[in-house]
Amino acid sequence: MNTKSRERIDRLFKFIFKGTGLITIALLAGIFIMLFSNSILFFFKVSPIDFFTGSQWDPETKYSIIPLLVSTSFVAFGSMLIAVPLGILTAAYLSELAPKKLQMFLKPIIEMLAAIPSVAIGFLGIVLVGPGLAQVFGIQNGLNALNGSILLAIMALPTIVTISEDAINAVPKSHREASLALGANKWETLFKVTIPAAFPGLIAAVLLGLGRALGETMTVLMATGNAAAIPKGFLDSVRTITATIAIEMGEVPYQTTHYFALFAIAAILFLISLIINFIGEYFSNRLRKFHS
Amino acid sequence: MNIKKIKNTANWIVLCCSTLTVCLFLSIILWDIFSKGFSSLSWNFISSFPRNGMTKGGILPAIIGTVLLTFITTLFAVPFGVACAIYLNEYAKPSLLTNIIRASIRNLAGIPSIIYGLFGLALFVQALHFGTSILSAGLTLGLLSLPYIITTTEEALKRVPNSLREATLALGVTQVETIKDVVLPKALPGILTGVILTLSRAAGETAPILFTGVAFYINGVSASANQEFMALPYHLYMLSTQHNAIEQVRPLAYGTATVLILLVFLLNIIAFYVRFKNRTQEL
Amino acid sequence: MKFLQFILVISLTACSSSNDTIKIKGSDTEVNLAVVLAEKFHKNNDELLVSVSGGGSGLGLASLLNGNADIANSSRSIKYSELDLFKHWNIEIDSFVFAQDAIAFVTSDKLPIDSISTENIAKILNGECQNWSLLTNRNMPITIYGRQSNSGTYDYVKNILNIHFSPYAKQMNGNAQIIEAIKVDESGFGYVSVGYVLKGNAEGLKILNVYHGNSKTISPLDAKAIASGKYFFQRPLFQYYKKRDYKKIKPFLDFEKSSIGAKIIQESGYYAVN
Repeated sequence: MNTKSRERIDRLFKFIFKGTGLITIALLAGIFIMLFSNSILFFFKVSPIDFFTGSQWDPETKYSIIPLLVSTSFVAFGSMLIAVPLGILTAAYLSELAPKKLQMFLKPIIEMLAAIPSVAIGFLGIVLVGPGLAQVFGIQNGLNALNGSILLAIMALPTIVTISEDAINAVPKSHREASLALGANKWETLFKVTIPAAFPGLIAAVLLGLGRALGETMTVLMATGNAAAIPKGFLDSVRTITATIAIEMGEVPYQTTHYFALFAIAAILFLISLIINFIGEYFSNRLRKFHS
Repeated sequence: MNIKKIKNTANWIVLCCSTLTVCLFLSIILWDIFSKGFSSLSWNFISSFPRNGMTKGGILPAIIGTVLLTFITTLFAVPFGVACAIYLNEYAKPSLLTNIIRASIRNLAGIPSIIYGLFGLALFVQALHFGTSILSAGLTLGLLSLPYIITTTEEALKRVPNSLREATLALGVTQVETIKDVVLPKALPGILTGVILTLSRAAGETAPILFTGVAFYINGVSASANQEFMALPYHLYMLSTQHNAIEQVRPLAYGTATVLILLVFLLNIIAFYVRFKNRTQEL
Repeated sequence: MKFLQFILVISLTACSSSNDTIKIKGSDTEVNLAVVLAEKFHKNNDELLVSVSGGGSGLGLASLLNGNADIANSSRSIKYSELDLFKHWNIEIDSFVFAQDAIAFVTSDKLPIDSISTENIAKILNGECQNWSLLTNRNMPITIYGRQSNSGTYDYVKNILNIHFSPYAKQMNGNAQIIEAIKVDESGFGYVSVGYVLKGNAEGLKILNVYHGNSKTISPLDAKAIASGKYFFQRPLFQYYKKRDYKKIKPFLDFEKSSIGAKIIQESGYYAVN
């Protein structure tokens, strides 16, 4: 092959590679346009005021996102209450205390937890956590917000542990040494120096975990009971945005109000996860800058 | 002094306990599923069709479905993902466009999988008229996998030392040839690890295939890509929530969960092995 | 090279014909019956594949409309709004009643109640009556286990009783989940298709006899009463299809009408059409 044709191939491939880069932008833009164009069509038919202030999701008559939004936040924040302390403490243990060998052993185990498909976790919610909760709280049925929270906590844990551990590891050794040299012991150093220094990273970890919990579908669909009323407590059934889409999307005729409504709630979910990722991103960038 | 000692011990216990709890979660999950699932595993279970309204028989069509589905996902996502990573790592200079691409990839990775399902429905099923089929579902999973493949591939490319690129470029070899002959072979194990891990995720996903092509039951196997299909994760969902004799099919559900988890773990172990072998070679 | 292969595969697969599969969708009530029918059908005819999906009756009709199904199972007759949509897209449809179903109202077998009036059923389901003490000697709040809005059963019960469901009714994914929930919930009250309370499944459950006004109390398991149309909550099970697809699905419909088909329907707990 002569140089000319080789160069032509070179240019062609550069062009192709660049094209694939642009596809990612197109994909994000496509998702964005799909969600928002359909949402706009929805708001032609149902007023945004009803959508954001009503209290019932009863397709074909009342479309209010509020019960779904409350349900989603119930489950997600519940899961964070469980997963955040557990995750950060585990990360602290792994990076500061655990012997090297144990670390090598525990890390893949936590990664394995992340690999378990969400539908398997949801299955456990039905066969194990649900009956367990029913017994502990003396309620009739364990498919409720608490069940979902526990399962989502399990699913968010690997994310939180891994990122927190990176954040704690990234705190320069000199910080710790300085603190120890000043007479602080290991614990004081960990809680008063290392963890505060890793704080932006820890926030990023929590937010990314939260993002995972908010967006999870199968687990909550299987474990939370799916009653579309505003929950009064953690032992009530809830129905999250994701579960609502999963349940109702298959069955709506295309281009009807109900169809558009599902895109509208998906758009809200999209915005929420976008914002959370954005803030998470901001904090992990700050961490990077802080250390470089 | 004593109070401090007690405090220290307490701290130590708290940290250990939280780690133990995390491990406990994993062991409970695995123990519950495997202990009840292994008894229903048999050659017959993985090699035969469901019978008697899915109360007996095996899960062969679900296994085939998941394998074919993952295959389509790979065909679609790997070329695009690797090409995009090559662009980002080998060509792109810091610029507004590059930043936008990177930001898009990060955001794509954070989008809930059910929204990919919606997008797949709107794009493949409706706009492109693929209908509800294994093709639509595979492509949807491909889109979902794209950001992960890009990120892991880029990391693998980054680990290839720049000196190698410079050496070949200095010899008058074009950049594409350098990438093809030097960079990609060197980065291959890393790329492979990322791809396998991503596929193990895709194989376990349920939400994106819910309305793009998965079926409750299909009474035969066909190689055509515009058929509906059965898939392991959906089969588990269906057996545990939709079937008319839930109690009766619980053993089948446990068996399906076991097969699904084993499949995912197998992929993970292969990925770890590739990574491990590569690391030891590098040293 | 990879790109070429990829494009080749895509174009090949997208072009291959889809005439060899019948997609049946919808109706959680009918799905298990459809699965058994499809399974047995395969023994007689292995050239035509049948894929079955559940969901609600709305799902089947929507899929038929959206072009994702060949047969829509539905446990309710088509709504005017749906018919309008079919007209709007110029799709001619036809229907076929392949079995009869009855709705069973179930509670835990520990609850001291055997029969219930349609009026009380309505009061419980719309949230007016929230405690079992009004109907039995037990003082216990009533937990309603219902279906989702996509369900034909949901629509059927809602329309025949002319009520709105209480927002606190749990919306279960399917008949089976309602049964599982009520088995362990003494305060539960739910409605399911009679095919779900058949053999072995009904342990721990009580299937209530129903009366309407001054009529006799009738059990949904009473085949004779159903055959004469006396049970208040009985309904035909429909299969809708596009007229232009009739040729393709005819072998399957014929199979359902055959004596083997009728036997399967009866064995699954439903009633054949007379």
